[in-house]
Amino acid sequence: MELLTNGMGLSVVVFFPLISAFIITLIPKAQEQLIKRFALVSSLITFVLSAVLLFQFDFSSADKLQLGNKISWIKSINANYEIGIDGISLPLLVLSTFITVLAIIYSIEHLPEPKSPKGFLALILVLETGMNGTFVALDLILFFVFFEIVLLPMYFMIGIWGDKTVRTVSGFKNQIETRLYASIKFFVFTLFGSAFMLLGFLGLYYRGNKTFSIPELIELGTSGAFTGTFATLVFAVLFLGFAVKVPMWPLHTWLPDAHTAAPTVGSVLLAAILLKLGSYGFVRIAIPILPDQAKAWAPAIAILSAIGIIYGSLACLAQTDLKRLIAFSSVGHMGFVMLGIASLTPIGINAAMIGMVAHGVITGLLFFLSGSMAHTYHTRDMGRLGGNMKLLPKTGALLGFTAMASLGLPGLAGFWGEFMALLGAYNPLDGLNITVFRTSMVAGAIGTVLTAGYLLWMLQRVNLGEPSDEWLDKDLHDADVYELSAWIPLVVLTVLIGVFPKLIFGATNDAVIAMLSKAFGG
Amino acid sequence: MILPRKSKYYVAAFALLGTLFSLAPLVIQWASYTTPIYAFENSFVIDKFSIILKGLFILITYLTFLLSINFIESDKYYQGEYYYLLLSSLLGALIVSSSRDLLTIFIGIELASTPMFLLSGWKKGDRKSNEGAIKFFLLGVLSASLILYGFSLLYGLSGKLVFSEISSYLLGASLANSPVVLLSAILVISGIGFKISVVPFHSWAPDTYEGAPLPVTAYLSVSSKATGFVALIILLTKVFAGSGSSWGIILVIISGLTMTLGNLVALQQNNPVRLLAYSSISQAGFILAPIAISGITGDYQDGIFASVTYLIIYAFMNLGAFLSVHLFSNYAGSTNFYEWGGAARKSPLAGVLTTIFFFSLAGIPPLGGWFAKFVVFRSLLGSANSIGIALGVVGAINAVIALVYYARISKVIWMDEPKSINEEKIFQFENPLKVVGVFTVLITFVSGIFPGIFSYLGEVSSIFFGN
Repeated sequence: MELLTNGMGLSVVVFFPLISAFIITLIPKAQEQLIKRFALVSSLITFVLSAVLLFQFDFSSADKLQLGNKISWIKSINANYEIGIDGISLPLLVLSTFITVLAIIYSIEHLPEPKSPKGFLALILVLETGMNGTFVALDLILFFVFFEIVLLPMYFMIGIWGDKTVRTVSGFKNQIETRLYASIKFFVFTLFGSAFMLLGFLGLYYRGNKTFSIPELIELGTSGAFTGTFATLVFAVLFLGFAVKVPMWPLHTWLPDAHTAAPTVGSVLLAAILLKLGSYGFVRIAIPILPDQAKAWAPAIAILSAIGIIYGSLACLAQTDLKRLIAFSSVGHMGFVMLGIASLTPIGINAAMIGMVAHGVITGLLFFLSGSMAHTYHTRDMGRLGGNMKLLPKTGALLGFTAMASLGLPGLAGFWGEFMALLGAYNPLDGLNITVFRTSMVAGAIGTVLTAGYLLWMLQRVNLGEPSDEWLDKDLHDADVYELSAWIPLVVLTVLIGVFPKLIFGATNDAVIAMLSKAFGG
Repeated sequence: MILPRKSKYYVAAFALLGTLFSLAPLVIQWASYTTPIYAFENSFVIDKFSIILKGLFILITYLTFLLSINFIESDKYYQGEYYYLLLSSLLGALIVSSSRDLLTIFIGIELASTPMFLLSGWKKGDRKSNEGAIKFFLLGVLSASLILYGFSLLYGLSGKLVFSEISSYLLGASLANSPVVLLSAILVISGIGFKISVVPFHSWAPDTYEGAPLPVTAYLSVSSKATGFVALIILLTKVFAGSGSSWGIILVIISGLTMTLGNLVALQQNNPVRLLAYSSISQAGFILAPIAISGITGDYQDGIFASVTYLIIYAFMNLGAFLSVHLFSNYAGSTNFYEWGGAARKSPLAGVLTTIFFFSLAGIPPLGGWFAKFVVFRSLLGSANSIGIALGVVGAINAVIALVYYARISKVIWMDEPKSINEEKIFQFENPLKVVGVFTVLITFVSGIFPGIFSYLGEVSSIFFGN
């Protein structure tokens, strides 16, 4: 077991998918079954290994970075291959390996056009390397590299397998296919944020003893090495880089397009994991390294989050497209996560952590369901859907359940994130403007009502009522075994986290408290 | 050239072998290196810096030969001359990297660029080729005269030819910031500015690139540019080191303009060669940035490290990009890349290579281009100088703009529907080209994932500046 604890285990979790992706590219295209089996097995191995790490992880010192290692990587700039996990990254890492397995199971029988499983599965695995790597990286440059690696596979997933509907986009002379517009928009938005984020990293490097190591920078930051205009600017660019990814209002506009255009699995991974890279960046990098700046920016972040919550819910009420509705609901839910983070209290950031996992599980499932329904009905227009419960009883029941989870029904996973984020905002860190936070809290509370509103309205339009005549003579297939085996684990997880939130808090709580007390004292 | 026509077949093989063998002395020099060796009364030096650059130039030429084989054989005549001219240009580049006096470096620069005038007009019947060659020639002559004029001012002032003597004379007489020396520096920068095609001396590049045979274009955009940069680095740091704060500002402005203008125009292109021409203009802005800022801060060592690292990574990924353009325009029979729709499905290997090269040019990790951009940003921000930081912000914005047109090529070949489905058309990917592809892609990946291999450059640039 020595092998697993000295960083080897984590490295394998990160790079095994990449190696598998490379091997897949060597398998002849015609061997589709072999490719699918190989991808499934390798994602399972990665997941099992991350589960083994779960047992290796010492929960009694979850606030410390564990199972890591540090080896020299780029000597000339003092960037190291420094990895490790603590209670904050562990749940996200496991979530990432877990969702990837489900995504591959689903893809076995439900590949979007043009099929080509070879390319699609290889891209998912490359994506997994980027996601896992971001969660274990403890060096800013390493983090940056992994943070960017996810862009290419997602760009191609949206661009090649995405929605081919032709639409008019304002600012473009000619009509353009949704997938092409969405893919480049996603890429450019994220790169814009991260290009500036890199400048911020370099700023920290030069002010902070020429190190890129996150733990070392945290030590420096908490002892007051970064102050003044410099720190304000650095926090601003880090904010830009992470907020685009979350995405926070008003930088969210890429998200509805990307989600709507992406193939089902692409939306799932995007919602479940990719968005978390941004909020994770805040918790791992921006706040601990620049605590004073985080405090100064917190009210602004809270206000933007509150706007995001209200805006996202109102936008949902205006949607006719099922997938677009879920996409906008992500803006709202990530607003709760960011509101929790902005409160800078243990309860708020724990809320954000469980909110991230819950959103990954629930919204991931919602995208699975809506993608599958779009595939069955060949439309996402909620005006034409209806009576789904009668047509596709299994899918319909799951949709009902997931919508309940998403609106924050107590006892299911979605509840804790929303409820505790509001609690955190009610009583933020000492010295933060109480009025701003309580107003944000009220806005968030109104948001929960609106969330319930649009989800119930969605259920009413899609699930209930009588099926319209156009579906009666069609042969519609309800969920098959591949779909169910991808979905049921998520349902189980939703209930488990809802009933035993300690599954997440057990890992995150100590780490969050340690991080905050280091940053803000007390 | 002296071979009878029927043995022209051997010319290519001979040129390839010769180029490869010329790497051998370099390896020996590297292995037995202790201190810089000066020859010809200090006007020629062998140090690690020059050995590395020579290795780079020889490899580029070797890859260009591989790119050329099929191209030139389809052309039936002038094979000997073609290789002869490229090898002459290589000799010029090799001389530049070791030169330490005004005459030697001038001869090197001109020997490197003169053969290119002929090569760029190689497609005799093609009007575009003729136009490009004429433009290139006229501006090339202008640039040579500017450089010479700059040199003559220096010689007139100091009466010396060797760099170390000139710079110590200038320092001794406190002339480093005198108007004459500055004029000389501006003339030299303008003259070499043509060679490295920075704004406002870039106008020849797109036309010449479009007209020239593709392997020649690749060589122009990589090797000729690198030669120019090496000459510029040597001259600025060995001769004009004392007046850095003045030329630094000029170069900062040129650098910012070059990246921005090159990018904005590249966005409008539909011809892949013109797109790469403007992209290489924009990349030149990035290569120039660290030297520019080092002039202001005086930290030449860091500037040289960043520029040379960028230059090396850029050389290989750009050669790869030209290879991609060659493959796809051959297959589609069109020089409008919007007509390459779905072509990657014909040859996924070529498609993947193309994607890698273009995204590396855009600077997306883990491909080599990211480290190139990174060291540039690092040296700009490390200057802790507001001008450097401003240039860094300009660079960051440009990196995002550039993504749009680099991604466009991948978008077309992977995502667009095939415009004319022609099942019988064969995607040609000859073996020499595969060697180029595999070699450049390996370097692109390795330099991105293990950029540590460039660490020695830091040490080398310290040696370079130490003497």
